[in-house]
Amino acid sequence: MGFHVASSWQNLFFCFIGTLFGTLIGVLPGIGPTTGVAILIPITFGMNPTTAIITMAGVYYGAMYGGSTTSILLNVPGESSSVMTTLDGYQMARKGRPGPALGMAALSSFIAGTFAVLMLTLIAPVLANYAVSFGPPEYFALTFMGLTMVTSLGGDAPLKGIISAALGILVACVGIDAQSGVGRFTFDNLYLLDGVGFIGMAVGLFAVSEVLINIEEPMQRIFTETKLNIRSLFPNLQDWKDSFGALWRGSIIGFFVGVLPGAGAVIASFMAYAVEKRCSRHPELFGTGVIEGVAAPEGANNAAAGGALVPLLTLGIPGSGTTAVLMGALLIHGMRPGPLLFSAHPDFVWGLIASMYIGNVMLIIQNMPMVGLWVRLLKIPYKILMPLIIAISAVGVFATDGNIFDMWVMVFFGFLGYLMRKLDYPAAPMVLALVLGPMMEMALRQSLTLSYGSPTVFFNRPISGVLMVFALLSLFAPLLRLLWNRYKVGGKAAI
Amino acid sequence: MKKADLITGCVLLAFSGFVIWESLRMPPSATFGPGPGFLPFWMGVIVAGLAAILFLTAWSRKMDPKAPPVFPGRKALTAVGLALLGLLLYTVLMEPLGFLANTVLFVAFLMAVVQREGFKLTAAVALLTTSGLYIIFHLLLGITLPRSPFGF
Repeated sequence: MGFHVASSWQNLFFCFIGTLFGTLIGVLPGIGPTTGVAILIPITFGMNPTTAIITMAGVYYGAMYGGSTTSILLNVPGESSSVMTTLDGYQMARKGRPGPALGMAALSSFIAGTFAVLMLTLIAPVLANYAVSFGPPEYFALTFMGLTMVTSLGGDAPLKGIISAALGILVACVGIDAQSGVGRFTFDNLYLLDGVGFIGMAVGLFAVSEVLINIEEPMQRIFTETKLNIRSLFPNLQDWKDSFGALWRGSIIGFFVGVLPGAGAVIASFMAYAVEKRCSRHPELFGTGVIEGVAAPEGANNAAAGGALVPLLTLGIPGSGTTAVLMGALLIHGMRPGPLLFSAHPDFVWGLIASMYIGNVMLIIQNMPMVGLWVRLLKIPYKILMPLIIAISAVGVFATDGNIFDMWVMVFFGFLGYLMRKLDYPAAPMVLALVLGPMMEMALRQSLTLSYGSPTVFFNRPISGVLMVFALLSLFAPLLRLLWNRYKVGGKAAI
Repeated sequence: MKKADLITGCVLLAFSGFVIWESLRMPPSATFGPGPGFLPFWMGVIVAGLAAILFLTAWSRKMDPKAPPVFPGRKALTAVGLALLGLLLYTVLMEPLGFLANTVLFVAFLMAVVQREGFKLTAAVALLTTSGLYIIFHLLLGITLPRSPFGF
């Protein structure tokens, strides 16, 4: 029934426009899916609700994919869920394989998104119970685990990864504390009251620092080998074989993390990448351009998008910024998300679910031909691309809020990012800490308030206990492994 | 890397000292739970501990004579420094000069000074980039970009 509703010509057409618009929005650094969907709300007033939702779903998916595109081609994360894609995606582009990276990003997004939609249709009500069983200790354990898993990505120097994450948490503390109204580290600066913006930090740490590194030695092109025949533009059979497991793991992790209100595409992508690295037979290759490093986070963030609809549709709780905007749009059109939505407006709900699927398909149809175009873009000599990248990044960051302060943040983190690269500190943990910090702190303080200050609350409850054990293992495993190696070999491995 | 790690360790130690001091000045909690200074204080302690570990492990490591230098040579550093300076100026001058003039100058600076390209390429890239960005951000997306006092 939903497909019948969703596949009318009008809806398909608007979905196409939506994904096109969304991709363009996503490619611009700074402006992300939430903004894109928000821009569209007034335009969709005149449409009937189903068409409006279908268009917005198209924009959302388009923007996610656009963000992945710049992550892979330019090391510019379009928004927080694309940060992990930069790690291997950009390296693949440098090695002359941007096409397969882009293709795998699109295809894994599609496959995982489809998986999420299937899961959504089959088990949404059951999941509602699972979502509600997560209280503050569980959220703390989950975010803490996400953070510790990513710090273990710090290559041969896990200590530097931990330092990076710890500094990120401190940066996240800047601003007005949500629970007490106290300004922390604001130094009487009006703009710091709002905290340090994600976009300034991410673009600075990734894109600007990348450009600065490349300026050191004049670089001819982003990648030197250029094969442009059709076959090299898409993932080959070996790529598919390598990514098969990654897709499964990414989809499952992404969906179940996305179901939790508050936890979304970002955590899902980070965790999927970390898990993939753990499960891999060649973990040391992650970060140099392995296709699983693109398939896992890309699949996870799309599956999370599907999962985020579960609390929205079953409980009326928006799970992320974008679903909150979506919920606002639903309310404007006269629908109340919640347990009654399925019975009151079934055609709409199924139309929505089908629209997500169609959005995914539309993405593939639209973007596979564009892969060739993007790859051609990379052949522009770097001396021309470089000012372009910096200018687009700077303007994009400014355009997010119309605030010059975000540009200052970008400049500062660009400089810091350059230093961090030189000194071998990974940037991903810092960015993740900025995103997860506020949620983690709130969960921590709520948990400790609930338990009157006793930290055992995290271990007494089954779910959070298990997650905390995982987290602590992730944190100390490198150290234990190191000590074990030293004991066995007597060598001097670096901490 | 050994010297770099030693220096970083000291800097981080000083920074964490500052963080701890600031967090102790924050007001105590109004409820049973932790107050605003709780997390910054403990993170400061953790960073101090990590910095100490970093410093000590670097101290006990032997200097590796074969290790490549952390920072590149003077020519490369100058280029990087100039680029950063340009970006800084771009941010400072955005409101006074307005988007159009500022971006043209910035891109021209990057092309001509940082990369030492010729006049024709510099002018072409600067003008095309600025107009392209203007079209995308202002005309297509409707975002307000700063205007100069002269109106453009």
